[in-house]
Formats: sequence, C-alpha cells, structure tokens
Amino acid sequence: MHVFSGPSGLKGDKNPIIFVHGTGMDHTVWTLFTRYFLRHGRDVISIDLPGHGKSNGPLLSSIESLSASLTKYLDSRNVDKFSIVGHSMGSLIALETAASQTDRVNSLVMIGTAFPMAVSEALLNLAKENDPKAIDILTFMSFSTDARIGSNKNPGMWMTEGTRRLMQRSSKNVIFTDLLACSNFVDGLTKAKKIKAKTLLILGENDYLTPRHKAKDLIENFQSVSVKEIKGSGHSLMVENPNLVLDYLVEVL
Amino acid sequence: MKKPRDLKPDTLSLHAGQRPDKEHGARATPIYQTSSFVFKDTETAAGIFNVERTGHVYSRITNPTNAVLEERISALEGAVGSIATSSGQAALHLAIATIVDSGQHIVASNCLYGGSHNLLEYTLPRFGIETSFVDFRDLDIVKDNIKSNTRLIFGETLGNPGLDVMDIKQVSDLAHENQIPLLIDSTFTTPHLMKPIEHGADLVFHSATKFLSGHGVVIGGLLVDSGNFMWDQNTNFPQLSKPYRGFHDMIFTEEFGPAAFISRARREGARDFGACMSPHTAFLILQGIETLGLRMDRHIKTTRKIVSFLNQHVAVESVSYPELESHPDYKLAQKILPKGSGAVFTFELKGGKKAGQAFIENLNIFSHLANVGDSKSLVIHPSSTTHHRMDTIALKKAGISEGTVRLSIGLEDIEDLQEDLESGLKAATKVN
Repeated sequence: MHVFSGPSGLKGDKNPIIFVHGTGMDHTVWTLFTRYFLRHGRDVISIDLPGHGKSNGPLLSSIESLSASLTKYLDSRNVDKFSIVGHSMGSLIALETAASQTDRVNSLVMIGTAFPMAVSEALLNLAKENDPKAIDILTFMSFSTDARIGSNKNPGMWMTEGTRRLMQRSSKNVIFTDLLACSNFVDGLTKAKKIKAKTLLILGENDYLTPRHKAKDLIENFQSVSVKEIKGSGHSLMVENPNLVLDYLVEVL
Repeated sequence: MKKPRDLKPDTLSLHAGQRPDKEHGARATPIYQTSSFVFKDTETAAGIFNVERTGHVYSRITNPTNAVLEERISALEGAVGSIATSSGQAALHLAIATIVDSGQHIVASNCLYGGSHNLLEYTLPRFGIETSFVDFRDLDIVKDNIKSNTRLIFGETLGNPGLDVMDIKQVSDLAHENQIPLLIDSTFTTPHLMKPIEHGADLVFHSATKFLSGHGVVIGGLLVDSGNFMWDQNTNFPQLSKPYRGFHDMIFTEEFGPAAFISRARREGARDFGACMSPHTAFLILQGIETLGLRMDRHIKTTRKIVSFLNQHVAVESVSYPELESHPDYKLAQKILPKGSGAVFTFELKGGKKAGQAFIENLNIFSHLANVGDSKSLVIHPSSTTHHRMDTIALKKAGISEGTVRLSIGLEDIEDLQEDLESGLKAATKVN
C-alpha cells in the first residue's frame, strides 16, 4: 500500500493520524492537513487505498475488506493506537475500522458522510460501464452551487477540474467498485454504537452527495460525538473550506 | 442518467472565480492593490508559508485579484489551475523553466511568434537549452527531432504569421508516446475558438495582452495547467517527482497530484523569477474576458468579410487564411476551428516591399504597430518588424516574404475598415 508520511517518515508518534480518501481519489486530497500535522511533530499515514493512486490493486469491493486491508497495513507498521480521518467513502472505512478496532482508535473524524450511503442504480450502471459521465456527475455533485462558480480559497486553482482530474486518473472499474462498496455497506448504525473513540462529524450545509440530514441516524448512535456543519459547503469540504476543516481537525486530533 | 450541465463559456467568462465580496457585496472583482497581506497570528502565518493553510502572503506569489483571473482562465480552458504572469513571454519562460534544465532540449514549431522564437533560438542556449524548429505538418520530422533529452514540445494553435493550423491531437499523441508534455500558445484563438486541452495539450499559455483583454492597455500572460500529464511516469522530470530542496524536500507529484506542475511553477518560478502580474492589470484583463465571446464572434464575422474583400482585389497577390480553400490547412481548420480561424491573417501585395510600405503608410483606421488582438484594427509588416531577426531561409520556412502584410481585424464597422483598406491598396497599386 502506498502511503504519504512526509519526507522524514514515521517518527514513533503514539497517536499517528490515518487519513482515508474517498471514491476515485488518492492521498493528495489531504495534503494541506498532513502538512500541518507533520509540522507539529505528528506522524501521519495518508493512504492510497488498494488500486488507487500509487497503490497496486486488487480493487476491494466492500468497506469491510478496505478496512481490513488498512488494518493489515497498520499492523505491518506496528502501529498500535491511532486516530483516523475519512472523507466520504473513506469516512465509512474509518467508521468500520473504529468499530472493528475499538481499543486502538483514539479519535474518529468523518467528513462528508451519511448512512446509508446509497448510490443510485443509474449512477452505478454508468460507473460499471466506465462511462466518463459517471465522473462528470460525481464531480458536479461534489460541489456546492457556489463552488461551481469558483472563488477557491486556494489561489489560482479551479476546484471542479482538480477533482475531475483525480477521478479521471483512476484505473478502470475503480469508481464502480468504490460506489458499490459505499452502497452495500450495512450495519453502520450498529457499528457506530460500538465505537468508543471520541467522534467528530464535519458536514457541509449544501452537500448534494451525502446530505447532512442523512447523517442524523448515525449521529444518534455514537457514544461520544460532536458535529460541525460548514455553512454553504458542498461535499468536497476539504477543497471548499480547507482552513475551517483544519481548525476542526486540530480541535479533536 | 443525464449528465449534469456545467456552466457555459459566456457565463464562466463573467463569473468564474468570483462571487460577490462578502464584506461589502462588491459585484465587480475588487482590485487588491497591495504588496502583502497581514497575518491573523504567527501560527496562521507559519501555516500559510508551509502550504497547510490557504491564504495570501505576498503579491509576487499570489494575489486575490490575480486569483480570480487565474481561476477564470482555468475554467474556460478546462484546467486545474493557472498562474498570471507579467507578460505572455513570462508565461512561456515560466513553463519552460519549470520543467526544462540545462543540457535539455525542446522541439518547437518553425512558425512561432517572433518573441517566442527569440527566446528559444537566441536566449535559452545561453542557459544550455537547445531547440529544434520543425514543420509540425510533417509528423515524421517532428518524430526524428525528438531526442532522449527532449523535455517539451511546443507549438501555436495558429502559427504566426502564416496561420499554420496545428493538429494538436496528432502532435500530442506523438508527444505522449514519447512521454513528453505538449505546450500550446493559444493566444490567437482563445478558449472561445478552441480549447487546446480538449485536443491533448498538457500546458497552455496566453499572451493575455491580445484577444483576452481586447482593449490593448495592459501586458500580461497566463500559464495554464491541464493536470493531465503524468510527471512521475519516468525520471525525466525530477523537478516535480523528486524532493525539492527549495521547499522542505517537497515532492510535487506526491503532494499535489494533478496540480504538481502549476504548484511547482508557483512555489519556485513565481517566487524566484518574480515575473508577476499587477493586480490592476489582472482587473483590466478580467474586464476584457467578460466580453470575450461577444468580441470574438464579431472579430470573426468582420475578418471573414475582409478576407473575402482582399481575396478578390486586383492589387492583392494572395491571402492566407485557414478558411480559404487555398490554405494548406483548410480541412484541418474546418475540423478543429469551426467557430473561426482567428482574426489575424496575412496577405501578399503585388509589388513586394515597396507596395507593402505604401499600403501601410496610407491607412488611417488601421494602426501600424506590433500587436494583435486589439479591438482596434492593426497592421504590420512582419519581415521588417516582428520577424526581422530571422534570415531569409527562416522567414521562408515561417511563410513570410518581403511583401507580406499582417492584419489584425478589430471591432470597427466593416464599411470603414474596407474603405481604409481600399485607400491603402490604391496607394500600393500606384507604386507598381
């Protein structure tokens, strides 16, 4: 598994932070955040899920198997306790990991999340055919209407195209397999109940992919949870409001 | 399932990159005429410097007004990001300096803008970068000139001044087979007529001085990154795929993925070479882009009429415009430039140089100057001005003779332009 841990690698932090990206993405979605924690002496493990970014396949078609592959990697690096942050599909992987490794996870952060994370048959079918329209739809739905006009906080960068390009770099079947994994994930509420870690959900007011009201049941089932809602933001919260997301991460990690 | 509808180009020309200012509600893009920006606290300052928080530090690197322009051109071109530079030449230099090192090589079209030719032919060799100039119409020649140290292929959508239409797709396929990025100068066409990235270009630049602005009151450039090129597919681009000592051993491909190139260009090139754009200039270019679609359609409409007028005139030997069947790239232009082949073209007067001089000196509305893409119509004699450093052989290769006259058609009334040209042609005929 390819991971980004900064130029110096892991330094033995007792609470490293694991970052898990979403559908068709890779570890580069976490660059701003990993740079902050590295500068503050923390260890970060920002992963490319199997078959994504620079990680080799095979693609894994369930949240459980994706979580298991992550746990296996952490075991191989002798990581005992950790905090975990996930976005979208990555938030479900983080949830599953926090539920299956209850005594190892200190903090859980789920960004742009919902349960269930059902995907429409129509979108799944397009993704199954590797139709570029699937990427266009996901890109479009990933941003608030304001963000589609731009005014990026990261100067000079056009938000929608950056996201589209990352997905376009995905190998065949990646988008479909990821969407299927999200759609088929069950027992999220039971798993939420098992989690001991302090949990933070960061939600976007104008998230069209995982609308904030669809996180309601999840929120009710955690033992210890706080919720931050970012006004005006769409699903791509780390692109649309990176500084605010970082502030919230710093509070809990 | 229906594909969602993204905003259309004319809407993007007006809005992309800017929402009304939250503090005062300003609808127009404010001009942030400041060299530097106050930090909230020391921790925030450190965060912005370390690229962990977004924000502005110093206007040589980023500026909020420039950022709107950079987003707008990115939106129009379908790119991940852009950098506004002090001129088109600065944008070209930034593109090259970001990925080409001393001892390396560029393959370029032999019909480039004279300023680009100067940089590649005379100046870059001083820094150890050599260029082979070739005819992009002959793919075998392009292929033969690619060497193991070639790091860039560079051409123009419409060659200057012969208007050679570049088959971007064909050259891009060849470039990519050889794992080399393709850079395109899209000044003459603008994204309204063609988006080079859709045809396979990896990097695009503009002299924003020209059609993007339209008003001819500023000098500016834009370097645009498609985000498509895989810089780490081999070891040829260590600037992007290996640790950079100049920024805490940052590996740009590792941290920025599709935005690796434009991130390095900003973190290194904008920082160290310093060819930045003034925020006031960015504002003025934005005013131009707001009407880009309207203006380009009018430029094209008038150009077609003038081309037809000159093509039938007894004093004119020939007209070179890709929409004429006589142009060698007529079919290609029909295919890739359906909205028009630009508003700049050349023609040959009967009577050579003297006729050319008489023609230019008897024009009143056309301005004799070294620019194109103004809303005002322009004229120039390339062999004695823009291309005067080229020898006869190089001029011939670029499709220029002593009698070649270049026109850039503006937005004036067609009747006035035609009458002005008629007066110049009359004078040219008398010389004969």
